[in-house]
Amino acid sequence: MRLERLHRRLVIVLSVAALAAFASGAGVEPISAVMTFLVLAVAFFWSPSPSVAEHLTRLWPPLALLLAARVGLGLLGSSPDVVVPVVHLLLLLLVSEALRPEEALNESRLYALTMALLLAATAYRPGALFGLAFTAYVILASVAVPIGLVKRKVRRFGGRAPGPDRQFLVTTVSLSGATLLFAGIVFLTFPRVARGWSGRGDVMATSIAGFSDQVSIGELGARIQANPRVVLRVEFPDGLPGNFLGLHWRGRSYDHFDGVRWTRSDNVRPSRVPDDWYQERWPAALVRQQIYAAPLDVRVLFGLSPMVAVGADSEIYPMFDNVGDWSYWGSATPVYTAVSKASDPAPELLRQADRSYMPDRQRYLQLPRMPDRIAALADSLTRDLENRYDKAAAIERYLRTQFQYTRELPRTAGDATLDHFLFDRRAGHCEYFSTAMAVMLRSVGIHARNVNGFLGGRWNEFGQYLAVTQNEAHSWVEVWFPSYGWITFDPTPGGSGVGAADVAWNWPGRFWFDGLQHRWNKWVLDYSMDSQLDLLGGLTRWLDRPGEPESSREGPSPSWIWIVALLSVTLLALARFRGGGPSPGGVSRSYLSLVRAGRRAGVLDPGPITPFGLARTIRVRRPEAGEPATRAVELYTRARFGGIPLDPGESKALRAAVRQARKRLS
Amino acid sequence: MNTGNNLLYLLLGAMLGAMGVSGWLSERTLRGLRVVRAVPRGVPVDQDFRIRYRVTNRKRWLSSYAVELEEPGLPGVAFLPGLPAGSTLDAHATDRFVRRGVYALECLTLSTEYPFGLFRKERDVVLPGELVVWPRTDRSVPGEILGGGDTPASSLSAGHPASGPRGEFRNLREYRSGDDARDIHWRTSARLREPVVREYERDASEVVWIALHLDHPPGADAEAAVEVAASLCARAAARGRSFALTAGPHQVEPGSGPVHLERALDALARADFGTPGLPTLPVPRDRAVLVTPGPSVPGFAKVIRTGGTASRRDAGEQPSGGSSSGAAA
Repeated sequence: MRLERLHRRLVIVLSVAALAAFASGAGVEPISAVMTFLVLAVAFFWSPSPSVAEHLTRLWPPLALLLAARVGLGLLGSSPDVVVPVVHLLLLLLVSEALRPEEALNESRLYALTMALLLAATAYRPGALFGLAFTAYVILASVAVPIGLVKRKVRRFGGRAPGPDRQFLVTTVSLSGATLLFAGIVFLTFPRVARGWSGRGDVMATSIAGFSDQVSIGELGARIQANPRVVLRVEFPDGLPGNFLGLHWRGRSYDHFDGVRWTRSDNVRPSRVPDDWYQERWPAALVRQQIYAAPLDVRVLFGLSPMVAVGADSEIYPMFDNVGDWSYWGSATPVYTAVSKASDPAPELLRQADRSYMPDRQRYLQLPRMPDRIAALADSLTRDLENRYDKAAAIERYLRTQFQYTRELPRTAGDATLDHFLFDRRAGHCEYFSTAMAVMLRSVGIHARNVNGFLGGRWNEFGQYLAVTQNEAHSWVEVWFPSYGWITFDPTPGGSGVGAADVAWNWPGRFWFDGLQHRWNKWVLDYSMDSQLDLLGGLTRWLDRPGEPESSREGPSPSWIWIVALLSVTLLALARFRGGGPSPGGVSRSYLSLVRAGRRAGVLDPGPITPFGLARTIRVRRPEAGEPATRAVELYTRARFGGIPLDPGESKALRAAVRQARKRLS
Repeated sequence: MNTGNNLLYLLLGAMLGAMGVSGWLSERTLRGLRVVRAVPRGVPVDQDFRIRYRVTNRKRWLSSYAVELEEPGLPGVAFLPGLPAGSTLDAHATDRFVRRGVYALECLTLSTEYPFGLFRKERDVVLPGELVVWPRTDRSVPGEILGGGDTPASSLSAGHPASGPRGEFRNLREYRSGDDARDIHWRTSARLREPVVREYERDASEVVWIALHLDHPPGADAEAAVEVAASLCARAAARGRSFALTAGPHQVEPGSGPVHLERALDALARADFGTPGLPTLPVPRDRAVLVTPGPSVPGFAKVIRTGGTASRRDAGEQPSGGSSSGAAA
């Protein structure tokens, strides 16, 4: 394949990668995306002849003007998002450049346009697809740009262009690997200081199925549909707790039940547990959870119950309300670290808990009007039991063993009642079970409330986190125990009925991609100064001798030895890199430095130039540097071509003239 | 806290990475290249000539691409699109000099913009050499000075003189490039273990002795004198005449042919004006032609002056005024 054709095709594929990168973040209107893709596909296989290209050239300016006008209107306020018309303009320019003859020297413009698309994508919060497209872009650019360079040079100087043989491809692909590696290092180590202009994707989601700000048993219909969207990704920095697939990820509590729906009352008296209770009376260890939550329409922070502390890892502000629920302010995606007690106090301790502070009786013993047989049922289950724990456990056991879980919803309003659930249908989803238990507990004088959140999750091996999906939305009951606080009881048999996600044929792939997405979010989008410090700390710990107390060491820390060694190797490599053969004589060296200064300053064209041509060009284009440059050139030509060696004074004058000229050129 | 600029950092990292890798690969591209420069033995002034560079890539794995080679101060650039590892290829640069002389080639600049064209990496390698630029040989000179018609001088392309009766044997001398092989005295050559040729009376009597007077300041007149002398040499060589040249310390003994002409042009390329004294000749002055940018010197049979008004005209033509050339003493 001819070098021009190969290069053009590579640039077209490069453009597709850039388009994909942009689409992964901002998305593009289907029409414009498809049209751009189609034109690029045409350009991949067909290159217009110069005459056809000339006709096409007449087409672009009016279209570009239209789009530019649209951008202008957007800037004046008629459009909420000005980036989209700008991107359309970019796409039009991309298409127009792609449909040029192969011989056209427009690769720089194509590179610039693809780079602009990539840059525009960073204004959003693109997913892991951006990472894939970006990687493809770097690889393709590493192949296309060198080929374009050789093509351009061959056209200028003549000669036979080398074909892209195996060695060339190996070199360029290695080049892309090194570029990506370097990009990764710079990305990881570049200091993070302030928030910038990014973050257009940090908008709150409008709604999410599975979890809502209420618990209700009044819903009718056919069946609760499965929704495998991941809403919580939980990492356990200190190691996995026991039964980590059966944990309750607590969200909000509800105190008021109107017979159908649970809601939160205003002005509830404080019912939170004092901090010292957890320290003194809850013997379990603490478990730390790093939680990456999807934004919900309810600003709730989920975590294992009881959460004793929460620290924000993104720009949110956690709040602890007077009923013990965690919420937050801020529009960023919630990323936080929750610290919870690993398990409840032992049943023996809870059986003895009967005299201490009790929360608001009016709220947590409230009951709506309902059939007497519900209270009678509760009484029959707890009559012979003496303490709160045994009573709660009896009701929980009764519901778990005598009832069935189903995602089938009741068909009629008459069927969607607690009474029908307890005495007729004897099957329902979690909200029926939690409501039944809370109501029965309250009917026997035990403070209880309904709680919702998520139950369980699935371990993502690729991402090393617990993925909690919308399918795991759940509700359960919290019972107040004097001296201990709220204790979790879950009367739903067989958990929340998760497993519907397994039905989807593409779930394994989606789950793996979720792991990729999580890593992307964690290590790219949400990478921060804290991440850098963690990384540095981990590296230092890894380099230091493990298990050896710091005080017992003598001399500098091993990590410092490593750092010094690394620096030394780098300096040696640099010295070797900069080294070379013998340098040219002083006169030529001075002249060459003047030539390079001229090229750097853009005064000289990249092509060859004679000494007097150099002096003349500098005199014309940068008069202020003309005099020293002319002086330097005269001395140089005298020594170089006249065969008259410079004496020390003249050598000094030559160096001074070059220095002065370079200074004025810079 | 997340700064929100992470993807920009990623792009920045990629760009810096590309720069770093580009710098490294450019450096590697220029490393391990062995260059041998081949220049012509001499090149005529004001004519294009080619310098050949034989470049060997001594690296074991890495090919070099888009390598440019240029001599500081010379406009020509040689280009190698690709040089696979372990291979040798030739590249050529076309240059032109506008003044005669001997130019020292001191160093060679290898450069490349490979791989991304972001930067130009240059590497100067010391590669001493010399390039002799001969003076022009197409000045018209008075025909009678050589004792014949005014044959246009095509100088270097002139054929070898035809042999003919050359009078009595005069002596033996060492062989010089361009001598007729038939003149080699084989017995003596065998005894001395180096080629020796016979010289005849008529060879010496018909030699055109050309003396260039260097005791004058450099300048346009001086250069014109050099060109006239070179044209005389070329004319003599073209006619098959034997000629000799003296230009300051540079002496060219009698001889003929294109190789002999090259020797004379080499001497003229090196001629430095300002050398005091009159040209020294092994024959009486009245057998020599003096070429001078200054006033005439008594004793020479023929004088060509290039100074004064003659300097603004073709120097060898008969001048119309008093400062003309060619007068006999």
